[in-house]
Amino acid sequence: MTTSTAINQRSPIEPQRVEQTRNKASNTTQATKNEAVIEVDSLNFSIKNNIILKNLSFSVAAGEVYALLGGNGAGKSSTLKTLLGFNKPNKGSVKVVGKEVSKALDFVRGKTAYLPESATLYPHLTARENVEYFLSLADIKKSDEQINAAFNRVALQQDAWDRNMQTYSKGMRQKTAIALAILREAPIFLLDEPTSGLDPVAIDEFNQLVRELALTGATILMVTHDVYGACQVANRIGLLKNGELVGEFNAPENGRINTEQVHAAFGDYKSRGN
Amino acid sequence: MSINNVSKVVLIAKDEWRYWLRSKLAVTVLAIGLILTLSSVVVTAITMLELSHTRHELQTTSDKSFVDQPDRHPHRMVHYGHYAFRTPAPLSTLDPGIDAYTGNSIFLEGHRQNSAMFADSRQGTALTKLGSLTPAFIVQTLAPLLLILIGYSGISRERESQTLSYLLSQGTSGVTLIAGKGLALLSVVGLILTPLTVSALFTLGTDESLLAVVSFVVGYALYLTVWVLLILLASSVFSKNSGSFTALAFVWILLCIVMPRVASTTAAIVVPSAGKIETDFAVKADLRKLGDGHNTNDPAFEQFKQSLLKKYNVNSIDELPVNFRGLVASESEAKQTEVLNQFAQQRMQAELKQTQVSRYFGWVSPMVAIRSLSMIVVGTSIETHHRFLRETEQLRFDFVQGLNKVHIEELDYQDDMNRNADAAATKKARVSADNWKILQNFTFHSDSALVRAHRSTSAFLQLLLWIAVLAGGIKFVGKRLL
Amino acid sequence: MSYLFLHLKREFGFLLRQKYLVVLLLCTFAVSAFAVISGLSEVSQQRETIERLKSADLTERLNVQTQQTDAGMLAYYTFHLTYSAPSNLAFAALGERDIYPWKHRVNLLALEGQIYESDAQNPELAQAGKIDFAFVLSALAPLIVILLFHDLFANERTSGRYDLLVTTSSSYFALWGARILVRFILLLVCLMLPFYGGAYVAGSSIYDVLLITTMCVAYLVFWAALCIWMGKQASSAPRVASALIGIWVLVAFIIPILGDLAINKIVHSPKGGEIVLTQREAVNDAWDLPKQITMDAFVASNPQWKDHVDMQSEFEWKWYYAFQQVGDEKAAELSHAYRDAARKKYQLAGMVSWFSPALLLQRSLTRKAKTDAIAAFRYEHQIRGFHKCLREFYYPWLFIKGEPTKAALNNMPSFSKTILNEKDEPEVIGVQLK
Repeated sequence: MTTSTAINQRSPIEPQRVEQTRNKASNTTQATKNEAVIEVDSLNFSIKNNIILKNLSFSVAAGEVYALLGGNGAGKSSTLKTLLGFNKPNKGSVKVVGKEVSKALDFVRGKTAYLPESATLYPHLTARENVEYFLSLADIKKSDEQINAAFNRVALQQDAWDRNMQTYSKGMRQKTAIALAILREAPIFLLDEPTSGLDPVAIDEFNQLVRELALTGATILMVTHDVYGACQVANRIGLLKNGELVGEFNAPENGRINTEQVHAAFGDYKSRGN
Repeated sequence: MSINNVSKVVLIAKDEWRYWLRSKLAVTVLAIGLILTLSSVVVTAITMLELSHTRHELQTTSDKSFVDQPDRHPHRMVHYGHYAFRTPAPLSTLDPGIDAYTGNSIFLEGHRQNSAMFADSRQGTALTKLGSLTPAFIVQTLAPLLLILIGYSGISRERESQTLSYLLSQGTSGVTLIAGKGLALLSVVGLILTPLTVSALFTLGTDESLLAVVSFVVGYALYLTVWVLLILLASSVFSKNSGSFTALAFVWILLCIVMPRVASTTAAIVVPSAGKIETDFAVKADLRKLGDGHNTNDPAFEQFKQSLLKKYNVNSIDELPVNFRGLVASESEAKQTEVLNQFAQQRMQAELKQTQVSRYFGWVSPMVAIRSLSMIVVGTSIETHHRFLRETEQLRFDFVQGLNKVHIEELDYQDDMNRNADAAATKKARVSADNWKILQNFTFHSDSALVRAHRSTSAFLQLLLWIAVLAGGIKFVGKRLL
Repeated sequence: MSYLFLHLKREFGFLLRQKYLVVLLLCTFAVSAFAVISGLSEVSQQRETIERLKSADLTERLNVQTQQTDAGMLAYYTFHLTYSAPSNLAFAALGERDIYPWKHRVNLLALEGQIYESDAQNPELAQAGKIDFAFVLSALAPLIVILLFHDLFANERTSGRYDLLVTTSSSYFALWGARILVRFILLLVCLMLPFYGGAYVAGSSIYDVLLITTMCVAYLVFWAALCIWMGKQASSAPRVASALIGIWVLVAFIIPILGDLAINKIVHSPKGGEIVLTQREAVNDAWDLPKQITMDAFVASNPQWKDHVDMQSEFEWKWYYAFQQVGDEKAAELSHAYRDAARKKYQLAGMVSWFSPALLLQRSLTRKAKTDAIAAFRYEHQIRGFHKCLREFYYPWLFIKGEPTKAALNNMPSFSKTILNEKDEPEVIGVQLK
């Protein structure tokens, strides 16, 4: 199978390397702290009488990886959808590069690369055709070499490039979608549960890629319920519970997790809090 | 199939029903289907009964007014003529077929074969060009659509929600699953056919034979079974609901909307038929050779005159014991009718050939097959119309020759020759009104049920072939269901 | 411009990769082409038939004229061809010409006894209906539009691509606009290309072609907009399609059927058989009536002949034709009521068609192609007018002058000339037609 060859070719990335790259990223974050690229300020969102998001505020700066961590139904996807302009906030503001999302939809979408949870592209097209198609939608023209480079960068095995995506595994689809996001050269990445359903090797590869992107100055917001993954890749983590931000902390050094804080965001928080 | 499997099939069918009853769409579709079928049965039954009544009444009036005519010159009655009306077949309450397109009355007179007159469609609103509220249309065209709407997701739904592999892994075979879904759909078919069957059974009371009723209902059951199988096949083959639906909708458009029209258009192109007016020229040319039956001096009758003189052993026509004018009229009527029948026969042959070509399309569209089957079995097809034309022609010939016989035997030749001299002579050249009773009562009956059933054999075969092919396909797919 | 072109080009390429769409479009093209070709062949058959009839009619008339000299006999044996030639657009909308006759031969006898003769085609084929461009467009095209447009959004939603597509595309047009436009244009091309070919062959006027194009585009835009509107929020493609097909069934079948039932309840028409029966009785009774009664009735409506109605013998042609005309006049009231009912029905059907776009288009197309009931009414009107001309031609010879001269016979009225001289459009459904 293709996955096994990937394992053989690329040894799992050592934690040490991840650590290094992240520290570098944190430094740049320090430097540009004031220039928040994503600013969410006291955001309220509800569907009918159902309150989804309550007074949510956070910001992400360039070069930073921000993980919004939460359980099912915490409001992670709603936050992303609001940032993408699919949801209209009832109160508060959502700004991207200083512009209110709902007022500059095309501008904001032009600046963001979105990676949906199940990155299904067109199964009847090849990876290359898919990428070309989506780029053209975004009015971007890339040469074959540039596309090849992107595929290489996400470590998509070469023999799959010109194969219909029907045959792709989830990891390969994810890689293609990231290649597309990279090719769009958008300064902001919005990642929806990017590692769910991937095998450990693929997760490591993915985390490495995200770190590298942050190093180039990209702003990355990911929503996830994967505590360990978030701690490994993010600079900062926001804990989302019932639509509220219940905690925000810098990612622990060496990937060690403060279980107290994590549990606050998940199941047993309820029993404690109440 | 073991008992276990049968109970499984029933279980799956029950489950499908539960799904339908909980889905707004399926309930709506079912309700609409039943309302449409019921209302079409009622509306058409009322219309056809009214029509039948009117036609019966008109026939009686027409018979009476013929017999009630005063004393007259018999040849005047030949031109006075007579109307024949076609009472609709009992089952035509379910499929009026070509009734609205052929005239339902025909005017019969001497020396001419008229076409049927007053087709209802000419007083129509042109609104029902696409379809009418007849049970035949509803069941042939709309019922398959309704079946598609409730059945398209039968298997693909299970696949999409990933319950399919669950079901299969629990030991339910693909074929059993499909059979269960099929049983559920067939029960819907039964529901749709109930009003039709009840209405058809009622016609047993009005002279229709059981054979016709049974072939009618079985025909429709086979037709809808074809659709059930098509739906099952599409639902099993496509991995997604949307794929199954799109494919079925497309097939429905092709088979039910496009094909019947392509069939009739092709038939009209492949077998062009000359109109009546055009053939009339040829008829007239042939008739002219026979001579004018009103004119005894026409040279065409010279030979006939000689043979008569010889037969009665007299020297001149004045000495004949019978009326020479009547003899000529009778002789020329017989010869003309021969020519007319010959052309009528040609025309009917051409029409039959056309119809045959369009019926061949039943092999590619079950809709075309059931359409022919239904009209043939009911007795509203072209064959019945031709039978009506032939029977009325016989009626025409008989009464005209009956009158000519009266002309020959009851009217004096001299009186006849002097009829236009003055009013008194005209009065003398008459025969008693009692002679008008030669008119036979005319009631039209369509072909016997056996003949109709026999005629519909190929349509039945077409439907059965569809079923066989589709069932084979389903069996193939069912074993590989995943 | 190049922006638009780039997006259209991409979506065009994208569509070509979706096999079922390609199959659907190819089938549409094939059906449309079949409809147009069969329409052309039908129309050319009708034209040829008329030409053959014309020459046969002439031959026969001359033949009769060599055999008969007496005005009465000539009038009895001479039949006159009337016809309604198909228009240059008839190939696209064959209309009601399979139900209403477009050719008749009449002589001087009572017209009411002749005009209802039908020279219809095979009724079983007529019942199935013919496929013509108007049918393809009004009935079939909406279904194709539904299949093409119903899953535009739902398909992307269920496949989980919707958000990615929307956030990636540079504008609404780049994605949906281009997709919709490409599908629409391709459908339009597949439907209309055969029509344009047909129009070129048939020599239709540019104005008509443009007008029909406009109607078609408007009609298709209506259906496409409906599909897009219904599909916009939906996530289940079959659900959208079911609703759309439901609307189509309502518009194409249910509304027309209900309208038909209602109209037939509202408008009462005399039975066609009664007209002929009345006329027949009148004509036959005349033989036994005193001649004076017939002649008085005749003079009452034709006073110009009042000095010429005396009879010398028990049978005279002028009396014969007079009672034929009196028979027509006796049936006139019924006949008017019959025609009025038909017209009223047509008018009411027009009102019903406002609730059914499919009907509206069908009616507009057949009106433009002059193949609808109005055209049939008009043709009947022309026949009646022509029959009147025949009477005006024969009566002077029958009542006064005796045997017509050769010169007069050469100037006998003919249907072609009559319709050429017809300046004003007849009043057909109560309003002056354009």
